[in-house]
Amino acid sequence: MKSLRRFFARLSTFATRRAQDERLREEIGEHIALQTAENLRAGMSPVEARRQAMLKFGGVEAMKEDYRTARGLLFVENWLQDVRFALRSLRRTPGLTAFVVITLALGIGMTSGTFSMVDALIFRPYPVPHPSGVITLASTTRESSFDEFSYREYLDIHDKTKSYDGVIANGDMEAVGFSAEPGATPRIKGGMMVSANYFQVLGVAPRLGRGFREDEDQVPGRDAVVVLGPDFWKQEFASDPSAVGRIIRLNGTQFTVIGVAPETFPGMEIFGHPDLYMPLAMARAFSTNPQKNFFEDRDDRELNVRARLKRGTPLQQAQNELSTLATNFQGEYPKFNRGRGAAVYTQFETRIREDESWKFGVTFVVLALAVLLVACTNVAGLLLSRARARSHEIAVRVTLGAGRVRLIRLLLTESLILASMGGLGGIVIGYGVVEWFHTFQFMTDLPWAVPFRMDTRVLLASVALSVFSALLFGLAPALQSTRADLVNALKAADVDVPGRKHLWGRNMLVVAQVSMSLMLLTASFLMAHSFQRSLLERTGFAKDHLLMVSFDPRLLQYNPAQTQQFYKLLAERVRVAPGVQSEALTQNVPFGGDFDDMAFVPDEFQMPRDRENFNSTMDSVDEGYFKTMRIPILRGRDFLASDAAEAPRVAIVNERFAKHYWPAGDAVGKHIHLDNRAGTLVEIVGVAQTIKYEGTIEKPMDFVYMPLAQHPIARMVLMVQSSGDPLQLVQPVKDIVRSLDPNLPMLQTRSYGDFYVNQAVKGPRMGINLVATLGAVGLLLAVAGLYGLVAFNVSRRIREIGIRIALGAQSSDVLRLVIGRGLLLVGIGTVIGLAMGFTLEQLMNSVLFNSGGVDIVAYIIVVPSMFLVTTLAAYVPARRACRIAPTQALRYE
Amino acid sequence: MASKQKTDVLQGTLALMVLKTLDVLGTLHGYGIARRIEQISGDILSVNQGTLYPVLLKLEQEGAIASEWGASENNRRARFYKLTRQGRKQLQVETQDWQQTAAIIGRFFEANAEDLS
Repeated sequence: MKSLRRFFARLSTFATRRAQDERLREEIGEHIALQTAENLRAGMSPVEARRQAMLKFGGVEAMKEDYRTARGLLFVENWLQDVRFALRSLRRTPGLTAFVVITLALGIGMTSGTFSMVDALIFRPYPVPHPSGVITLASTTRESSFDEFSYREYLDIHDKTKSYDGVIANGDMEAVGFSAEPGATPRIKGGMMVSANYFQVLGVAPRLGRGFREDEDQVPGRDAVVVLGPDFWKQEFASDPSAVGRIIRLNGTQFTVIGVAPETFPGMEIFGHPDLYMPLAMARAFSTNPQKNFFEDRDDRELNVRARLKRGTPLQQAQNELSTLATNFQGEYPKFNRGRGAAVYTQFETRIREDESWKFGVTFVVLALAVLLVACTNVAGLLLSRARARSHEIAVRVTLGAGRVRLIRLLLTESLILASMGGLGGIVIGYGVVEWFHTFQFMTDLPWAVPFRMDTRVLLASVALSVFSALLFGLAPALQSTRADLVNALKAADVDVPGRKHLWGRNMLVVAQVSMSLMLLTASFLMAHSFQRSLLERTGFAKDHLLMVSFDPRLLQYNPAQTQQFYKLLAERVRVAPGVQSEALTQNVPFGGDFDDMAFVPDEFQMPRDRENFNSTMDSVDEGYFKTMRIPILRGRDFLASDAAEAPRVAIVNERFAKHYWPAGDAVGKHIHLDNRAGTLVEIVGVAQTIKYEGTIEKPMDFVYMPLAQHPIARMVLMVQSSGDPLQLVQPVKDIVRSLDPNLPMLQTRSYGDFYVNQAVKGPRMGINLVATLGAVGLLLAVAGLYGLVAFNVSRRIREIGIRIALGAQSSDVLRLVIGRGLLLVGIGTVIGLAMGFTLEQLMNSVLFNSGGVDIVAYIIVVPSMFLVTTLAAYVPARRACRIAPTQALRYE
Repeated sequence: MASKQKTDVLQGTLALMVLKTLDVLGTLHGYGIARRIEQISGDILSVNQGTLYPVLLKLEQEGAIASEWGASENNRRARFYKLTRQGRKQLQVETQDWQQTAAIIGRFFEANAEDLS
């Protein structure tokens, strides 16, 4: 206690140390005055009296020193001195300082900017109290470790588990037609169905009104209540508190607003921030799969299930409990749950499974860290050469009695100041990078946002990086320069004995730089190249002259028959409209990334013993689809108008599907059962070419097309092929839709070409730009580093070179002398960089591109250009060395 | 090391002397304290009166004494020190400790080889 109190006293006196000095001075003066008076009374002469008083008081300076030690925080005072000194000496070399700061800022900024990505995708905790207690429950199969649960399964988990303080469920965010007034045309908003206990279990208290009551989520369709998301409330209701209690229309059903979620809770998802929350019991108003009964079908798996772990319950216990339950499901419902397990995941485990973009983030961070490393080696090199130039000064300090620790601290203080300035710049650059990320737009009507931002964690990481890099680039020069040989250093002349060991460190730095930036360049080139290649690869469908418009007649409460009637009329009228070449209806467009899965059993196929059925991705299309999208039918026939609802069920599969299940024979004429062995029989009437369905970089996948008439879907996309600019067709299509139903909104109206470019090109291109920037910055830094090294060597050996030239050396000899070492280093660096590049390529292939092989072209282009640039960096200062006039060089110093 | 220990002991005893002095004489300035200690202890402070001031500062930081400006006998500004309540407590405790230690050390010095056998 006492020492703590003393510490605070010291802290406060530290702030007022000038006044304290004054006080001591005054006290000493008074003390001596009193003693002098005393001595005078004792009969001394005034001079003698004062002298005796001073003697008795003792050494004033030594005492003052003691006093100061006792008084304040000596180390802080010393450190402040160091800081002042360091700032002064940095100001003396503004160019060098600026270079170092910019270099570091680039490295730190790139790293923190890219880290913001990984942070948002993996590390940022859920926006709820005690986020670490929230775990995710997932259904697992052989193919997927992260599947969803059905409503029935959720209820069982909810009722039969004991490890949790509550189990909650939510559907995916879906497009919901919202209108505030009865007559208004609905607009699309993002709605999410949640269990009644959702907010309460998460610990989110509504900002206004209330959350759901248990009884509001029990009877299907009875309680039409809705909780608004904070952003939605702000936009649609101008943050009006009276919104609570109002009636709004969602998909045509009247809902009562009962509450508003708080600003602190934008939702549990990384990207999507729901506008509206509805109870699960209202699922019929938002039904996604009309073929399934949400409340009854155990295989209608649409729910994400989360739970709050009871305090003190180990995760393993929850896992065991859930596994037991899953085993019971297998026994009770073999039809739906054969081979199906369940797993509990922490937030981290959930995040790395639910969205794979973090892999790109991690790749970027690793590359950015490599840039930072190059920057650090560069700075270390510069500081080393500076330290050499200062060796005289340091030697003087050592001779005058400065301790080595104190000197190292002084030099480290300099690095720390450089690093903090670099860190500040880095944070600015990081903000820039994040801003740039935000220029990416999601092509959707739903409230999706780029979640990357510079929050406290990212800022802390930047600061930690700065300090770490300060140590990294500051320690080596500090250690080396304080070990200087005093006698030599004091002899003033900067003579260098060739082959000195300490150059080893600098050479290492250059090698590290060259190899690191080679690796960066290779990586960026590889990414760009393999992406370019996959863009050139045929995607297999048309993109130009296509207009896309989405419809969802459920928004106006159409029943299935009305819906299909609407689509039938729409297609008929659009087909004959002027300027229209052809039209198609499809459940999803390629690269729209929302294809449904279907389960099936190929007829007369020997199923593996442990499998109930297979899965494939599918699309529901009308008879104009293959023509409009220009997807060739390789064998068999296209869909026809005669493939109507009551006609025999037919399907078209892609080539991969056909080869997959009928490797020997022709798939046309074969049959599959839907769902399971006893399911509806569907004849395969055609085989279509395999195209890219979900992304530029994708492995060929199985795909099944069903005719819309036989597999009716409510939400469809109309594709219209025009002869000219597709957007000119917007108005004619609008007129046709209005003639059918003036209230029906047209969603996602845009040129498919634009949509495709955004989906397929923009995102990856941002990544490539990022990596290319990293590579360019890395190369720039390496070039600067090499230039610095050679220039430094030249200046150090200027006298030697002068003598050589005076003795008759040719400029080519000098060039060889100076540049030889640099080239050797570049060579070694290139070899190491190549090895790292190969390793990285293997890694990127396995993680990102799913392809093997070595991209020779990348190396053929990158390595020579790298070599050229670095050689040039060495050549320029070497050239200067050749021009040294001997007379001048010998006069140097 | 040895010399440092010696100053530690000196500082410790000096602090105790300061506390006792202020306890007996009430409010006093630095010179007065120095004089008083000198009178009683003889030569411990006769050479280095200045060493008193770091001790005063330390005591003040620990809260054992408080100080304020006042006028000295020759009417100049001087810093006056006085014991705080906490200082009084500290003095009691330390006096006891010191007496105990002194008694033990004393017994050791008095003891002969025969007594220990």
